[in-house]
Amino acid sequence: MRAVFGGALAAFAVMYLVAELTLSRGVPEGVVRIRWSTDPNPARTIQTRLFSELNPGVEVVVDPGSQQKLIVQCATGTGPDVIDLYGIEHMRSCAEAGILLDLTPYAREMGFAPENTYPAIRDGLLVDGKQYRFPCNVWANCVIYNKKVFDDHGVSYPRKGWTYDDFIEIGRRFKTTPSKSGEKHLAVANYYNVWFFQDLLIGCGGRQFTPDGLRSAFDSEEAIRAMRMYHDLMYVHGVLTPPSEAAALSSQGGWGAGGLNWFSAGRAAMIFIGRWYIVQVPNWPNLKGCLGAVQLPRVGERPSAGQCGSRAAGINVKSPHRREALKFLQYLASPAYSRLIVADGDSMPPNPELARSGQDLVNEAVDDPEFHEPFVEALKSARPLDYSPYIDASLVQRWLSERIGQVENKLVSPEEAMRSLAAEINEKIRQNIERRPDLQALSSRR
Amino acid sequence: MTGKRTAKLAARLAVLSALGVMISAPFVWMIAASFKPRREVEDTRILPREPTAKNYPVVLDIVPDPVTKKYLGMRFGRWYFNSLLVATGVTLFQVLTSAMAAYAFSRLRWRGRDTVFILYLATMMIPGVVTMIPNFQMMVWFRFLNTYHGLIIPAAFSAFGTFLLRQFMLSISPSLDEAAMIDGAGHWRIFWDVVMPLARPGLIALSIVTFLGAYQSFFWPLIMLNEDQFFPMSVGMLALDSSYGLQTELIMAATVMNVVPLVILFAVFQKFLVKGLQLGGVKG
Repeated sequence: MRAVFGGALAAFAVMYLVAELTLSRGVPEGVVRIRWSTDPNPARTIQTRLFSELNPGVEVVVDPGSQQKLIVQCATGTGPDVIDLYGIEHMRSCAEAGILLDLTPYAREMGFAPENTYPAIRDGLLVDGKQYRFPCNVWANCVIYNKKVFDDHGVSYPRKGWTYDDFIEIGRRFKTTPSKSGEKHLAVANYYNVWFFQDLLIGCGGRQFTPDGLRSAFDSEEAIRAMRMYHDLMYVHGVLTPPSEAAALSSQGGWGAGGLNWFSAGRAAMIFIGRWYIVQVPNWPNLKGCLGAVQLPRVGERPSAGQCGSRAAGINVKSPHRREALKFLQYLASPAYSRLIVADGDSMPPNPELARSGQDLVNEAVDDPEFHEPFVEALKSARPLDYSPYIDASLVQRWLSERIGQVENKLVSPEEAMRSLAAEINEKIRQNIERRPDLQALSSRR
Repeated sequence: MTGKRTAKLAARLAVLSALGVMISAPFVWMIAASFKPRREVEDTRILPREPTAKNYPVVLDIVPDPVTKKYLGMRFGRWYFNSLLVATGVTLFQVLTSAMAAYAFSRLRWRGRDTVFILYLATMMIPGVVTMIPNFQMMVWFRFLNTYHGLIIPAAFSAFGTFLLRQFMLSISPSLDEAAMIDGAGHWRIFWDVVMPLARPGLIALSIVTFLGAYQSFFWPLIMLNEDQFFPMSVGMLALDSSYGLQTELIMAATVMNVVPLVILFAVFQKFLVKGLQLGGVKG
């Protein structure tokens, strides 16, 4: 027995030694290394390399992780220097937890103030009038379509100014017109149902909360109409694929990222998504030259509109490299960084000067300016979702997602789903205000 | 009578076969998808039309991606090695410390022994999330972030392992200790030469369970490590999970390579694992 343990210990010691000897150690002298908590997209390597070239002596290490990792590390003062924040709710939670540095005193002087990016997303960079982040990229959804699939069925491409009635008609034609190739295609590959609904909500002129933030607006006429439309697109018109069918179609048991692959493989005609989709094009050579895009369909006579947002970076208030982290945000606002975003297609560049027309956005993946034009236009009419300071936005998102699931699975009617969601949110707001003096003060000021 | 027995057997086999298919289907799908070219990955057919083994060298960064003509740039070999290193270290130390603690709780008589044992066991009832931040804070104080020992030392002590081995050791007759003592052996000698060989099924069972747990561990390495040169496979594979460019066939190839050591380990030691867990569960 001693020999077994001795042998195992010796083997482990050798492995450990090999591991330690083959590590690259420490930061070179005179170099400051900052950590950027973001997704491990291969494009980050190019982005960080350019930053180091422009700022000699500063290296950026990409640190992929999760919200939990961020919480644990920030609670113990070892969090990353620069933090990607994926939505207003994420920023608000982090700002309220005291994790984020107030950028307001530095932003204007260093060129990354809200005025340095698109008007539509400026409010989404602020919490209570203070700036906490600056965009790494900006998105607004459009409809991307595969011309080859449309041609195969002899269906005309969607045109600027189209409506949901046109959308339903296209869906119907895909069902009724056989393709020349003999292959079957779906009209739409669903990507993310919550986004789809939120775009519909804004398209219908709805909002999540009343302007004072004290009540939910999910029981408003517009919101109920949006959910009813979502339901009907799935079950009355059959344009969207219900979850049970999606689970049978996608190898990944549902849509989500499987929807991306479904569209990319040429099995669906359209997808509702941001310009960042074209990062996929190098992985799917069959898409080259086949992609078109159009703004979201209009609801009745209303103008085309959807939500917009950004993946934006903030700075850890406890970062030991605050100066370098601020330089990184300055870099995000620079034309050099925006040119990278244009080139790799990772949504829209944060600097609007680089995205004034479709021609500005032409890149290797999609060289047709007409493809990019709708995304420029979409950002002009899009607006971010409204939030209430009286309730955790991620909770609202979760409850909304649950209600959408119930409607998709026909467990409740769209009207019931929206009314019960509004009631649940209103009750939570009431409880929060009752418990928290700061919210009481805020509500009385309003 | 024979006909009834045959029908029963057939029904039992049918149920077991159905369960077997349900359990093995995801693995079959995983292996089949790892041999699919990208254009087939969303195909509802399980088996690939044009099977290819290229996904494996692509993940290992030996050849570029056949579609994009670019290398993935992942350190898969290093992550593989890190996983094995950490799992080996954790298993070795956890089995050793658990055996020593189990010996103290089962063979030595000291005041408050059972109370301490119950308190030690009670730590199993505390959810890991509750102690996550205090544990992590200690790692920060010890400067264990971005180190291998930061992954190994906190996992080197286990109340479950101690409990399992204590049950084993209680089943070994105390007269063996007494005989050894008459022959002049001390506790150290009795531990190594009498108790440990007899607790072998329990030690093997604990080793397998610990190795599997450490090899698959995700959250602790995720928060402890910021540099990819230290990543185990579980964390490193996050690089493949990007909604910007999901490549299912590569994820599946990586997953197959990830689970191969576990399958081999389980296949080789399955007999000991079952026996060890059964004995540990019954005796006491």
